[in-house]
Amino acid sequence: MKSNSQNRPLGAFFYLFNVKSLLIFVIAAFLIVFNLLPMCYLVFRSFVGENGFTLDAFKRIYTYPLNWNALKNTLFTAGFSMIFGVMIAFPLAWLIGRTDMYGRKFFRTLFVMTYMVPPYVGAMAWLRLLNPKAGTLNLLLVNMFGLSESPFNIYTTGGLIWVLTTFYYPYAFITISRALENMDPSLEEASKISGASPLRTVMTITFPIMLPSIIAAGLLVFISAASCYGIPSIIGAPGQIDTVTTRIIDYVYVGSSEGLNDATTLSVSLMLIANLVLYVSTFMTGRKKYITISGKSVRPNIVELGKWKLPVTFLVIIFAVIVVVIPFATVAMTSFTKNLGKPLSSSNFTMRYWDILFTRKAILDTIKNSLISASAAATFGIAISCVMAWLLTRTQAKGRHIPDYLITLGSGTPSIVIALGLIMTMSGRFGINIYNTLTIMIIAYMVKYMLMGMRTIVSAMSQIHPSLEEAALISGAEWQRGFRDITLPLIMPSVVAGWFLIFMPSFYELTMSTLLYSTNTKTIGYELFTYQTYHSQQTASAIATGILLMVVIVNWLLNKLTKGKFSI
Amino acid sequence: MKKFMMILIALMVLVSASYGADKPKITIYTSMYEDVIEAMTEVLHEKFPNYDVEFFYGGTGTLQAKIAAERDTKKLGCDMLMVADPSYSLELKELGLLHPYITKEAKNIALEYDPEGYWYPVRNLNMVLAYNPEKYKKEELPQSFKDFAYDENMKGVISMSNPLTSGTALIAISALKNKYGYEYFDKLGANRVMIESGSVALTKLETGECKVIMILEESVLKKREEEDSELSVIYPTDGVICVPSPIMTIKDEWSAHGNSKICEELTDWFLSPEGQSYIVKGWMHSVLKNPPAIPYDSIQSSEIFKEAMPVDWAKCLSERTELRMNFEERVKSAK
Repeated sequence: MKSNSQNRPLGAFFYLFNVKSLLIFVIAAFLIVFNLLPMCYLVFRSFVGENGFTLDAFKRIYTYPLNWNALKNTLFTAGFSMIFGVMIAFPLAWLIGRTDMYGRKFFRTLFVMTYMVPPYVGAMAWLRLLNPKAGTLNLLLVNMFGLSESPFNIYTTGGLIWVLTTFYYPYAFITISRALENMDPSLEEASKISGASPLRTVMTITFPIMLPSIIAAGLLVFISAASCYGIPSIIGAPGQIDTVTTRIIDYVYVGSSEGLNDATTLSVSLMLIANLVLYVSTFMTGRKKYITISGKSVRPNIVELGKWKLPVTFLVIIFAVIVVVIPFATVAMTSFTKNLGKPLSSSNFTMRYWDILFTRKAILDTIKNSLISASAAATFGIAISCVMAWLLTRTQAKGRHIPDYLITLGSGTPSIVIALGLIMTMSGRFGINIYNTLTIMIIAYMVKYMLMGMRTIVSAMSQIHPSLEEAALISGAEWQRGFRDITLPLIMPSVVAGWFLIFMPSFYELTMSTLLYSTNTKTIGYELFTYQTYHSQQTASAIATGILLMVVIVNWLLNKLTKGKFSI
Repeated sequence: MKKFMMILIALMVLVSASYGADKPKITIYTSMYEDVIEAMTEVLHEKFPNYDVEFFYGGTGTLQAKIAAERDTKKLGCDMLMVADPSYSLELKELGLLHPYITKEAKNIALEYDPEGYWYPVRNLNMVLAYNPEKYKKEELPQSFKDFAYDENMKGVISMSNPLTSGTALIAISALKNKYGYEYFDKLGANRVMIESGSVALTKLETGECKVIMILEESVLKKREEEDSELSVIYPTDGVICVPSPIMTIKDEWSAHGNSKICEELTDWFLSPEGQSYIVKGWMHSVLKNPPAIPYDSIQSSEIFKEAMPVDWAKCLSERTELRMNFEERVKSAK
């Protein structure tokens, strides 16, 4: 970009320079107002009482052994979900991205698809499959192997880790896959030429180079698992396993102002942990960041699995069946079952719940709300991501890392903290009152999920060598034209993919929506959770299956319409 | 991409166009089932074609938290409340948020109501026990709330709602505490009661994961009528816990739309035999001296009232936070 600007009149240079600063300023301001300030306010509230600085709130909170336990459970479950998540995601991402395994494209879509369904729906499925008393899978195993008791109990921290892992590893999978696509393959080639086996190459070259991305991916899983409400509230509640998030929501529901203060204080604890983890991982990845990203756009080489091809594919199939097919099939079948105590048969079959899904006004309204807020969050979010990607990969603008850091901070902030902070600061106390509007939801979703979009586009942009754009400029095209004719078409598939990565979690978001919804802004995520836990599990299953079908259809349509160029 | 954006814009326009309509609006916060809400909305649409009556569902605790937050902004999101917890009406009256109205139906009401007209009971909810005769024999199961917590054979196979989010569960634990002391919570904890909402508990009853659950009668009756379920109610021998859930109108200066006159009309209708018949269709008991009917498969309302476990409403209110905290601590910390 530097060399280009020299070809222009000085005025244009300043124009471009100012646009950059302005963009950086606007994006940073947005995040400071809606993420940083609310967070600071929460910290302020938890440390400053009526008589100035005090640690009383923390003392009170932590005199309850329940809160200590909750904190311990959170760290334990989120920590192990992170470890297992990465242990699953890295090999999967490598197999799918860099080897000649069968059905790579199919598996890729399948695993990304898990990211597209609400995690608490999966929790419900696993609860049905693995509860100790009457779990379908448990009973099956007992009968098959003649066991004296159920082998699994979902109402344990182990059960919680299992469900958290199976629903949050896609975050790591997506992140690691993107980084693998960007990796400079020359080192791997060198290793191969020197006679190292594929496994040795992975262990000595690929893995170390990928380490920063793996840490980043692990962090994402950790934060998501630690700030998740739906899964622990469904799996943890019956076993009386609390996490910080369920405690916070409980405190909010106690309804007193003291309850709200306690919730604030607990969420500050959660936030501090998250920020610490974020800081450490940024520190660790910061200096190694650029090694992995190649300057040239090179297609990474594909490793031939040889005689391992079939067994490895088989293993991946088994994994897919256990983690994706079984729970989703359970949910889909539930949506047609009248009496859940009996097997699905013609007398026990009903379409009633699907009928409710398409006719009940309350559900349709919430779908409408979620469509609006998620599309808005995704559209604005992806616009910011595009700008950021341009600033980060194509310019040397001063301060371009400030919004970059703030966006990372946003996604590293537990959802519950974002929501609580927004409620307390955006209901008129500081001159902005957007509480009870869709706007507050859109903002919360953007703060939380923009990072996934940004990563996707940055990764796409860094794969396109600037020489192409320079060629356009040399041929006499304005930079706008070069952008439109060269860059845009090349990054478009990533823009669409990134849009969905923001859209889907926003669409079914639960934790933040639970606190932010109001009369006219109830979202499908919250409605689904209410049906799941209060009105009717079958209706909830119908809604969840509907969402999944929608994702599959949209993906298929995108694929068809763009001849395979765009897909999720 | 252009096509994609066009579709998106078209979708948004379509969605925003569906807003509108200028009829006076009434928003009712309620903890009734969505199925009941839907049926009610239809009836009200027919009966009051000139008004736009809208229900907003939430558990009583959830709605209380919401109203607490809304009070900060000096305006509530609703015009009327039909939440479960009667003690909440005492609190709202004290706070000066309610609009008084003497309804002509008052003389027919069988249960206690506010003489100044700040609140009336509109539906009676009964906390009972339930079991699944297809999986377990009734004789082997607890027949009273006491045994529910004290019978050690029930360890790990019982379930009840969360008093933090459910108003009826809060009333239930208040009544049980008054009768058996805080020890009752310890016993619940020792029996590893699962704290979860009604639909989850009912499913666990169906699959046999739970043997007996504490639940609202209406949820069981609904399942029996709609899904031909065999799940059955046990009317506990130490008394059903009756929760006469109130209907209240918010004062104009606090309410969302300031239509208290319309709310008065709605109050009259809900307390009329006709309105009550829809309550009964929603599997809840009528509050009238001469109930228009009894819910599907239930027993006479008067019989239930006669044997009911006493509830101290003022205490429910004054001890609310204490009850919730104690329940949390004792149930979750029990070994």
